[in-house]
Amino acid sequence: MSIASIIDRARTDGRKLLTEVESKEILEEAGIPTARARLATSADEAAAVAQETGFPVALKVVSPDITHKSDVGGVKLNVGSAAEAKAAFEEIVAAAKKAQPDARIDGVSVQKMARPGIEVIMGMSQDAQFGPVLMFGLGGVLVEVLKDVSFRLVPITPRDARQMVQEIKGRPLLEGYRGQEPADVAALEKLLLRLSDFIEAHPEIAELDLNPIFAYKDGALAVDARVILS
Amino acid sequence: MNDILPQLDRVLNPRSVAVVGDKRAMGYFWLRNMSPFKGRLYSVQIDPNEIPGIVELGVSNCASLLDVPGDVDYVVCAVPRKVAPRVVADCVAKKVGGVSLFTSGFAETGEEEGTRLQAEIAATAREGGIVLIGPNCMGIYNRRLGVRQSVEQPAGDEGDVGFISHSGTHAINFSLIGAVQGLKISKSVSAGNSAVVGPADYLGYLAQDTETKVIGMYLEGVQEGRRLFDVLHRTTPLKPVVVWKGGLSEGGRRAMFSHTGGLATSAAVWQGLVRQTGVVATDSLDETVDAVKALLFTKPTTGRRMGLVALTGGQSVVITDAFEREGLEVPLLSERSYAELAGFFNIVGGSYRNPLDAGGTLGFGASPENLQRMLRVLEEDENIDAVAVEVSTRMMALQAPVGTPSADWLPEMLGRHREESAKPLMVILHPGHLESIAAQERQKYVERGIATFAGFEQAARAFARAVQYRRFAEGIE
Repeated sequence: MSIASIIDRARTDGRKLLTEVESKEILEEAGIPTARARLATSADEAAAVAQETGFPVALKVVSPDITHKSDVGGVKLNVGSAAEAKAAFEEIVAAAKKAQPDARIDGVSVQKMARPGIEVIMGMSQDAQFGPVLMFGLGGVLVEVLKDVSFRLVPITPRDARQMVQEIKGRPLLEGYRGQEPADVAALEKLLLRLSDFIEAHPEIAELDLNPIFAYKDGALAVDARVILS
Repeated sequence: MNDILPQLDRVLNPRSVAVVGDKRAMGYFWLRNMSPFKGRLYSVQIDPNEIPGIVELGVSNCASLLDVPGDVDYVVCAVPRKVAPRVVADCVAKKVGGVSLFTSGFAETGEEEGTRLQAEIAATAREGGIVLIGPNCMGIYNRRLGVRQSVEQPAGDEGDVGFISHSGTHAINFSLIGAVQGLKISKSVSAGNSAVVGPADYLGYLAQDTETKVIGMYLEGVQEGRRLFDVLHRTTPLKPVVVWKGGLSEGGRRAMFSHTGGLATSAAVWQGLVRQTGVVATDSLDETVDAVKALLFTKPTTGRRMGLVALTGGQSVVITDAFEREGLEVPLLSERSYAELAGFFNIVGGSYRNPLDAGGTLGFGASPENLQRMLRVLEEDENIDAVAVEVSTRMMALQAPVGTPSADWLPEMLGRHREESAKPLMVILHPGHLESIAAQERQKYVERGIATFAGFEQAARAFARAVQYRRFAEGIE
């Protein structure tokens, strides 16, 4: 589906929050590599999709009402077989219903477990005075506790993208820390520039959250993504 | 407003000024501010008790703005807020260039009536197509024409520093502190609540103003962030813009809202904007003055390698710390430089690796020719981009009887060197415990166009900012 039709469908449904599956489709269209997720609406479908995708897979609840999927028991990682995928579907739906009885649950997304990389995040939010602002940071504790992030107003230039990555304090972690493979900084910069173009072209997008992105020595992959419409 | 530049040009370079509502209780503040004004000056006042005092000042008074003979380019409105809408309406009827409202009690109060009155005067000005400065502001300062915000401001000669400020106090203080440090204002605007015309408009004007070489700004909340971002983007390639942003702290935001009604910006977003636009960001009035001095008085360079001259061992250590802390470098000199320095440098109680610990070699003033030799060595050294020289107020005072100006050989030599040299030069004149002597001494350097700072840290920070700006402008960073 095209970006416009995904957005139209959400609007028709009266939804602002796009699902993970929709968000990733949109981002792929914009040239941003994601760990593609497919929607399964039954346990049997989850098993079949997992079989097609190839194991191990990750299963996550798909609901327009649930923002933090792992908090409601809505995520299962490293699922290794069709039988396990079937069971995981049932467990996720049950847990999500229990935690948030009013939530509409569309099903479960199935995606191939991404090869681990250095976790980074990118996002966009609206500043009351300056409009869309792009953010880059290292994932996990560094962003949550130390707020080690950089901001730029959209649109950004290649110089801005370079400096956004350079100026975070945790930058040595991107250069290969203690034998870890270094991150493809050029790929991260390109991702930021594509995001900036995408945001400029789609003023109907209010917020964007790519968390985490796995950075590899060759390329980067958005493992989870969330798009909010205005 | 469309095509506001010609209108701003008329207001900021007025040939005729009218002051509405000045009175004895205010000490005829505004009329006295305009005393050096070379154009036509009028007062508008209807209170018969006030008129004799105005006439005594030699100013003609009219009962209404509409009675003022000829065109009026700039109006200062100092009436109570309830009367302000009528004055603004008269300004429109008179087709003035613009009006600044000293009157306060508008949106910055946060209360209903003030907000309503501000909306009313803004709508009148917009529809009438006149420039409205403020309200809640100190208006404009044009040094050349003698249109002032305070009687303390110098007038009569040209300036090359533009200033835009949400705060009238900061606009005036910048012009006064700047003046004793050699900075002359071309045009300064106190923008107040910016109900119609805001900082982005004034910036757009100063960007294309040929008199203005460097622009300083004091900003609180920004109402039209996107436009400011765009105008900054367009301006920094033309001339440096130094921005001092207030209200970045939690408590500061609260104070800011009741001052100009401005909304908060997160410090992190602001930092991003600063790097994106190549703005020189500062945190205080003194830092702003220093940064403008460095940009205006030192020759442009993108190089960071400092040649340092200090007078004692202790000062040599800390001047080096100060410059390196700001990301500048203090490298070793070339072999040729060392060979030349070895020929005359007194290494008993001194050294010349860089920094040059030079007091002994200068005979503490007895051998001035040796300073000239050092400066020549640093000038020719390809490892060095810029030079900073410590001047000691104490040593000056010890040489001369206390309280009298010392011999002028040092500022003369440094002034000559600055003219001949291709490299940026700055002087550090720490007042120490001799502030009045330092002020006299500083004047000698300022007169010669030498960037002079009160301490190593201030010099290092200001110069680092100037280099950062040049690197941005050249596309290096």
